[in-house]
Amino acid sequence: MKDSQPTRWATTAELTIATPEGVLFRLPLAGPASRLYAMVLDIAIVLGTVNGVGLLVYRIFAKAPGYGVMVITLAEFAIGFAYGALLEGFWNGQTIGKRLFHLRVIDQSGLPLRIEQAWVRNLMRVFDALPFAYLVGGLSALSNPLMQRFGDRVAGTLVVRQTPLVAPGEESWTRQKYNSFMDYPTIAMKLRRAATPELASLVQDALRRRNELASYARREIYRELATYLQCEVSPFPDELVEMLSDEHYLINTAGVLFGDQRLSRVHR
Amino acid sequence: MILDLERFQTQAGPRWSSLESLLVAIEGRPDRRLNPMEAEQLQELYAQAAVDLNRVAHGALAPELRQYLERLVARAYAELHYVPPTRSELWQPRRWLRIFTLFPETFRRQSRYFALAVLITVLGCALGGLAVRYDPAAVDVLLPANYLRNPVQRVHEEEQGKNQDRHSTQSEAAFSAQLIRHNIEVAMLAAALGVTFGIGTALLLFENGVLLGAVAVRYTQQGFGLFMSAWLLPHGVFEIPSILIAGQAGFYLARVLLRRREDRDVRQSMREWLVLIAGTAMMLVWAGVMEAFFSQHHEPVLPYWFKVAVGGAELALLTVYLLLIGRRKTDAQADNRLPAENK
Repeated sequence: MKDSQPTRWATTAELTIATPEGVLFRLPLAGPASRLYAMVLDIAIVLGTVNGVGLLVYRIFAKAPGYGVMVITLAEFAIGFAYGALLEGFWNGQTIGKRLFHLRVIDQSGLPLRIEQAWVRNLMRVFDALPFAYLVGGLSALSNPLMQRFGDRVAGTLVVRQTPLVAPGEESWTRQKYNSFMDYPTIAMKLRRAATPELASLVQDALRRRNELASYARREIYRELATYLQCEVSPFPDELVEMLSDEHYLINTAGVLFGDQRLSRVHR
Repeated sequence: MILDLERFQTQAGPRWSSLESLLVAIEGRPDRRLNPMEAEQLQELYAQAAVDLNRVAHGALAPELRQYLERLVARAYAELHYVPPTRSELWQPRRWLRIFTLFPETFRRQSRYFALAVLITVLGCALGGLAVRYDPAAVDVLLPANYLRNPVQRVHEEEQGKNQDRHSTQSEAAFSAQLIRHNIEVAMLAAALGVTFGIGTALLLFENGVLLGAVAVRYTQQGFGLFMSAWLLPHGVFEIPSILIAGQAGFYLARVLLRRREDRDVRQSMREWLVLIAGTAMMLVWAGVMEAFFSQHHEPVLPYWFKVAVGGAELALLTVYLLLIGRRKTDAQADNRLPAENK
């Protein structure tokens, strides 16, 4: 591989790209289920278009149905392949189905795909669709860390998830006036160091979904999370914890994790 | 490094928004081209966002902000490093018409894979022909369709015009479309099976060859050699070479995949594969038209010698097209376009 090319590696869910300038970023890969839904929608669109064209052609060739059959047979075939290739090639790597399901086809180096690649991956469908219902393509995607079907492997492309994101806003727990955990800066620092991004996201999600959870489920989840944090991650003094509900414990934890990262409030 | 997220987001937020607006504008253009001012602005905002991402990744527990910045940096990286095709490449009809010269040029450049496809088909033909010639029991296995097993009945029916219902112009048109579609699908499969490292392509060509050899020997054995030639040649001289060229594309793909790590220009390699398929499809359109509108007419409507002569003329034209078109270019020019694997 040339020096100017990006290096990449993949886990089951994402592709990490390290650019020649030393920038590292991850792209979330699309799973087989969302790709299947997008494909079913695209097939429905193609069939709808072909039938629409068919009705029109049969009206035009009402007195000569043989020509109607000819036009339909060829149009169905051409639209079936050209739909994916042209839309993906000229519309940011997306068909209508892919756009609705927030999927996008890109080059496996992280760049937009080219029109040739779009044609290659769509023509290879004749192989991926074998023996029925895209079994070959599906098995290929499931067995590949980049989740590529054979068409993607040949064209050097992959399908990524592209859900629209906005810059995260401020959460209520970052604006707490008083957080009793900050009175114990050593333990708070230990909590921040020990918490993995996954654990931090879990706490954040549990608090955000407070009102979506049934009360018994919320009680149970908050209790388990708080017990885990207290016993396994960073034990705050019992006299403090006894005064707090599980929910308050998690709010304080989120305040430590996501609040002012300098812990300056401890000294206020 | 510990980051004051609140202040960081307040300070950097406007430049992330600028980058996002710029990206939305660029991504909305079909050719994705940047003017020099935009390129400079994009480069600057990308570099800043990359630094911001680095700070968040190492200095703060902010999974959502990190995800947002990663997405932004990925999009900016893609736009900065992508070389879009020029407008003329996409929209000039002359460029699309170049396929008529690109196809024979590519065919000749990759002729060794065509030779391999011919060899495998000829082996299949020999096996099919010999089996039918020396083992009568093989006829039922190799030629399952009754009209292939019993030429006498078929020739009689055709010459008596018993299939006249198929010979109206309209039904011929519908028949030709079905033939074109079916044949292009088979050709595309032969080309795509190259992904099995050529094994699938070889099996498909071999099977095709066996059937061809068996039919040829069966009809010739029973004294219908001229009928068969007149029946098959007008469309077969395009149909059989096109399947061979599809096989050529399949073997070429197998070679490209086997040598992908060494190949410095994958894009060019795949373009050659696409050109071969496009050429095959063009040939099969002609073959489908000839098969439906010409091949199905027999004596006394069309004399057999005339049909054979038409087939011969087509073959001569095809040979001239594949071997001579585009030859005027100098060797140096041709060398420049060679994919890396052939250098």
